[in-house]
Amino acid sequence: MSSFSTLSTALSSLQTQRAALDVAGQNIANANTVGYTRQRAETASVSANAAASRFSSGLTVGQGVTVTNVARLGDVFADARVRSSTSLAADLAARATTYARLETSISEPSDTGVAAQLAQFWAGWQDVANNPSDPAPGQVVLESAQILTEAIATGYRAARTQWDETRAQSVAYVDAINTAASSLAELNETIRSVTVSGGNANELMDRRDLLTTQLAELTGATTRLQDDGTVTVSIGGNHLVNGDTSYRIGLVGSTTLAGAAADAPRLEWERTSAGPVTLDGGLLAGNVASLAGARPDGSGGALAEAAAAYDRLATQLHDQVNAVHATGVTTTGTPGGEFFALSADPGTPPALGLTVAVTDPSGIAAGAPGNGAYDGSVADAIGQVGTSAGSPDRAWSAFVVDLGVRTQAALRSAEVSEHSRATAALVQLSGSSVDIDEETVTMLAFQRAYQGAARVLTTVDEMLDTLINRTGVVGR
Amino acid sequence: MSVTRVTHQMSQQTTLANVQRNLAAMSKLQGQASSLRRIEKPSDDPAGTAQALRLRAESRALAQYDRNAADGRGWLTAVDTAMQTTSSQLVRARTLVVQAANSGTTTAESAEALALEIEAVRDALLGQANATYQGRSIFAGTSDADAAYARQPDGTYTYAGGAGSVDRRIAEDVVVRVDGDGAAVFGDGTDNVFALLDRVAADIRAGADVAGAIDEIDTWHHRTTSALATTGARTNQVEAQIAVNASAKLSLKADISAVEDVDLAETLVQLQTQEVAYQAALGATARVLQPTLLQYLS
Repeated sequence: MSSFSTLSTALSSLQTQRAALDVAGQNIANANTVGYTRQRAETASVSANAAASRFSSGLTVGQGVTVTNVARLGDVFADARVRSSTSLAADLAARATTYARLETSISEPSDTGVAAQLAQFWAGWQDVANNPSDPAPGQVVLESAQILTEAIATGYRAARTQWDETRAQSVAYVDAINTAASSLAELNETIRSVTVSGGNANELMDRRDLLTTQLAELTGATTRLQDDGTVTVSIGGNHLVNGDTSYRIGLVGSTTLAGAAADAPRLEWERTSAGPVTLDGGLLAGNVASLAGARPDGSGGALAEAAAAYDRLATQLHDQVNAVHATGVTTTGTPGGEFFALSADPGTPPALGLTVAVTDPSGIAAGAPGNGAYDGSVADAIGQVGTSAGSPDRAWSAFVVDLGVRTQAALRSAEVSEHSRATAALVQLSGSSVDIDEETVTMLAFQRAYQGAARVLTTVDEMLDTLINRTGVVGR
Repeated sequence: MSVTRVTHQMSQQTTLANVQRNLAAMSKLQGQASSLRRIEKPSDDPAGTAQALRLRAESRALAQYDRNAADGRGWLTAVDTAMQTTSSQLVRARTLVVQAANSGTTTAESAEALALEIEAVRDALLGQANATYQGRSIFAGTSDADAAYARQPDGTYTYAGGAGSVDRRIAEDVVVRVDGDGAAVFGDGTDNVFALLDRVAADIRAGADVAGAIDEIDTWHHRTTSALATTGARTNQVEAQIAVNASAKLSLKADISAVEDVDLAETLVQLQTQEVAYQAALGATARVLQPTLLQYLS
């Protein structure tokens, strides 16, 4: 063993401790970086050249220390848990947001909502019944009918606007997914080449994990780590990213709320064998579900169902009021025609097409034919429409309560799933986040080791000094 | 799931989430305490919303029934007044006819005076029969004629009513007739009290015996008093319903309040508790986030 070998041992220690200190420095620098996974320099002792040979001379000690790897202390299972809980939480949060916003647009129960306007409208008819000869109560009924039609149309428009915005947001999500997928494919390629050449791709992996979590949040995509260090991301069993290849998805289907029933907005793969994308969760799944058209059993998209409720309300008002109004006659004996009119254009939804056909109080048919001119029995009958079993009021109230129940359920399940997402995220952070105290202790340890190695160097230097400068000068 | 390793980032996030949750709960309570409403939107309490919607509709309908009843009471009072006067006028007519029936004492002049007075009674009755309330003839039913009874040039009378009555809905299922039945009180067609009085006046002038008319007048008087009784009964019904509506209005108001409004004492106590929790969370944050090992190393 060479006299100088201890020098190189000390040198290896100096280099190793510095490298470890570098890693600690990197950890502290990224203590607050989102998605950063803490790293640790893994060291190993270098063994002596132990090959026995003719010239080998007795026992040898090791040759120092070396950094074998900079390990990334993440937990792939914790990461997977975060992704799956995020995809569920995002899906439910998107649904809850839609419901909560829709609910504020109906403004019930209040003194200004549709229910209050309906009650006002029915009460107005009683006043007409009390005094059919006076144009004032008639004018009041016409005004409240006008306000009612506007309230219905406003509610419908609010649902339509929200539908349009949700669709636009979904298009933005699809763009984000396509962008993230192509970045992920590039990262896969870079990580593979870095890893193959023996480099350190830890930071790239952090970025890739952020992207896979983002994709899980948007689409509920699942991620699988491959042997070559790349990840495969799948939606509904089909590859979104495989190695360095990414596949695009697109949002197709109706661009209007009215067309959603026949052609609901949905996702499709943009490749030769185009097919539907089956989402497993994520914000987009929640949004696409909210965009679905209305169904007869009420299980359609939240927004389309709300719009359908406004349509039903308009149709019921039109049918029920007109049916009674048509049996009456005005004070001049003219048979009552339509009180409400619906747009003849089939493209106009009833909620928007509902208008008051009677323009003047004299056109209100308050009396029954055969009775005196000032008879108000038909007006009274119209005033009682609101209390019948199949009245528009009941249907509206049922819709409001149903929406309330759904909103409450959606908010609660969103809260629960958000809680489990937060727990999963906390577990992930527990493994991967940087602890300043821990890094400080590590720094201290490395610093001491560095000092020790430097002392070894000094000691060897002094030994050599004895040999070189003091040898052969006995008695001098 | 136990968490063994705890880092500053974790405690930061957990603390932030806790403070946020406390603040959200406090802001919700503050909103309730300031608006005093427990149900701001249907999801706050779907079952309560259903009740609130129904109670509000009932409350609005009740207010309208109250208006209807008040209007009906006005009508009934007008009818009652008119019929009271009618009754006293008929009594007066009977007295005159009794006087005229004592034919032994009547001269041509006194007969003429009696006839004129009878005609005056007839005009008074006609005036009552054509009484109006808010521009509507109260004995003409649903007719739009200006007067219930009109004297024709040939001396006959026409009745404009008879086609439907004036009704008021004073509760959801209670409809009350509020006009006077002209045909019952004054008659219609050729058989009416005015024609009778005309005939009596003519008979007195002609010196004919009018004793037979006393019974006829009595019959009309009976019809008036029985109509008066009916009107009184209806007025009672309306008054009673107004009282019922008033108490129903109060209990509805209490019900709406119970469903929609917050219990202020409870909310304030909750708010106070939440405030303490929030301050505790803030205090804990200040203690947890500050220290690191670095402070103790020189």
